[in-house]
Amino acid sequence: MLSHKKTYLVLAILLLVCAVPLLAQDTSVSYNSYSSDPVPRAFDESIVALWNEAHPEMPVNHSILNHEDFKQAIRAYLVAEPSPDVLTWFAGNRARFFIDKGLILDLSDMWAANGFDQSYAPGFNALATVGGSQYFLPTSYYWWAIYYRPSLFERAGITQVPETWEDFLGTCDALNAAGITPITIGARFRWPAAAWFDYLNMRTNGPDFHINLMLLQESYTDERVKATFAHWQELLDHNCFVQDPAALDWQEAVDDMVQERAAMYLMGAFIVDSYPDDMEDDLDFFRFPIIDPAIPVGEDAPTDGFFISANARNPQGAQEFLAFLGSQEVQQMALNELGRLPTRTDVDISGVAAPTQKGIALIQSADYVAQFYDRDTTPPMAEAGMDGFMRFWDDPASIDTILQDLEAERLRVLEEEGG
Amino acid sequence: MAQAASVTRNTRTKRRIDWTPYLFLLVPLAVYFVWIIAPTFYTFYLSMTNWDGIDPYPKFIFLDNFQYLFTKDRTFSEALINNLRWVVVFITIPTSAGLGLAMVFNNEMRGGRWYKISFYSPLVISLTVIGLIWGWVYHPRAGLINGFLSIIGVEDPPGWLGDRGLAIWCVIIAAAWRQVGYVMVLYLAGLKNIDPSFVDAARVDGANRWQLFRRVILPLLAPVTTIVVVISIIDSLRAFDLVSIMTRGAQSTQVLANFMYIEAFNNYRMGYGAAIAVVLFAISMVFIIFYLSRVIKDELEY
Repeated sequence: MLSHKKTYLVLAILLLVCAVPLLAQDTSVSYNSYSSDPVPRAFDESIVALWNEAHPEMPVNHSILNHEDFKQAIRAYLVAEPSPDVLTWFAGNRARFFIDKGLILDLSDMWAANGFDQSYAPGFNALATVGGSQYFLPTSYYWWAIYYRPSLFERAGITQVPETWEDFLGTCDALNAAGITPITIGARFRWPAAAWFDYLNMRTNGPDFHINLMLLQESYTDERVKATFAHWQELLDHNCFVQDPAALDWQEAVDDMVQERAAMYLMGAFIVDSYPDDMEDDLDFFRFPIIDPAIPVGEDAPTDGFFISANARNPQGAQEFLAFLGSQEVQQMALNELGRLPTRTDVDISGVAAPTQKGIALIQSADYVAQFYDRDTTPPMAEAGMDGFMRFWDDPASIDTILQDLEAERLRVLEEEGG
Repeated sequence: MAQAASVTRNTRTKRRIDWTPYLFLLVPLAVYFVWIIAPTFYTFYLSMTNWDGIDPYPKFIFLDNFQYLFTKDRTFSEALINNLRWVVVFITIPTSAGLGLAMVFNNEMRGGRWYKISFYSPLVISLTVIGLIWGWVYHPRAGLINGFLSIIGVEDPPGWLGDRGLAIWCVIIAAAWRQVGYVMVLYLAGLKNIDPSFVDAARVDGANRWQLFRRVILPLLAPVTTIVVVISIIDSLRAFDLVSIMTRGAQSTQVLANFMYIEAFNNYRMGYGAAIAVVLFAISMVFIIFYLSRVIKDELEY
């Protein structure tokens, strides 16, 4: 048994040990990211090392979690006190969700002080801003487009990539006539089907209507949504798509192009990673065909970036580190080493490959940059929506019931948000 | 009176001794309470809130979640029906196949042990791996089944997991394949426990093989059959891994456990997810209590 004196002594020592970090005024910044794949991970670590070398008084503690676990963990991070300072996340609704709950730090001062309002492309400035203040630092994105094999187009006697809807249907017919499946898609996990909805809806009704639908401010039973599905129906009627899309992974559907069974694939730029390197000469992409030339052009370009928790322990240091992450030097390095597309306009892109320059031009010429269905709308709506798209695929005749179900889900989510 | 007093004193001393085992149980009971009992009741509470996983003050909405679940949610009825299909397949196919295999392998035969091991081996493989393997079996282009079908000249083979009408059955078959070995082992153990004198007596009485099986062995196996059926039902209700791996609930293959996961951790409807968990718990509880009462009764018999 300890005597009372000894007990007090032990308590006093314990207290001192606990108090030391407080007295020493910890100035470090904690940074949590989901870049767990080897190459981006190494790059991220090198950026942190660079910072720590230049700022030994304010070291950054970097922890990395894999993508899926991070998506779960972020909710716990942001409500913890104190929470990690700097976090990676996705733009659009995914970021909006936390911003609207007051969990994210307002970056307006840092934004203005670093001239980000000038150096970031207008579309990305808009993406960073909610209600006039900046909360999210968009740092990189990738584009979506219709990828195709020029050699197969040639074999089917197609001399020009389709630019209008009629061209596009004609292209499908010509490919079918040549015995080539026009479009491949691997929708086993459903999201590749959502890309078709995004583009058809933006091309049919314009990006404004699309984003309002994503924000649940328009109804799914609206005639305009039906018009979108009518265009989708035309593609089905022209036998544009591969058989059994729901049985294929998105990568398995790439094989259809590699093995010359199918000619086109609406996919993100990451399709190149799954495509054999020695065949990339015969892989190109074009803008999703314009249906109505009178309406503005929207493109999908999912954007990643950073924000700071409102409960951050060191908000000042976090903003300084964030300014570094969003600087021209870091974006230039990310472009040179990883091929990550810059959101700043002052990054030198002359050194990158021609397809990348083409992709950057595709997004920069767009009137609106959407984030992709499951990032632009709320998670339950995305879940129901993607399920609906696949149901439509299997049974186009039931479109009315499907849209009614989606509308019911929309109203339910709205009610939840209101309550 | 004097006698009565001594009796009370006796019980009192007894009671003091009786505390010792409880003291030993205190730690495991505390652990059990913290990790099992408390979360269970917390889930009951959550199921009556609209908690989104973040909000520190979720609203108490009483039975609204259950009302939506039972009256409006199509996915819930789909999941319930799929679980029901799962139960029906599980208590028929693997049970009869397992019993058949057990009857065969109960006889001494060359390589019998090897066969038993091979039928049991799927149970050793993790469900994730089984999901991946069967995903390849069902693959519409390069899969085992369609590869075979195209060899024998079938023109337009089905898309299996991509086919809304077939997908759930494909998943259940994969699960049943795994279950067969398990049921077989349970029945083999049951057959070993049958007193050979019953079988000999039946033979002496001139029973043929079918009569022997139908009138002697099967009735003697009844306790095992009960356990097999109850385990099959509970396993069907727990079904999650294969659906999550093979389809993630797409193509009308939703089951309750996966639906709960998606609502809670994908859609961030913790309260609603908890409500699904409670429904699943209530259905499972009926069979678990039945199973436990059986097991306890058996234990008392021996």
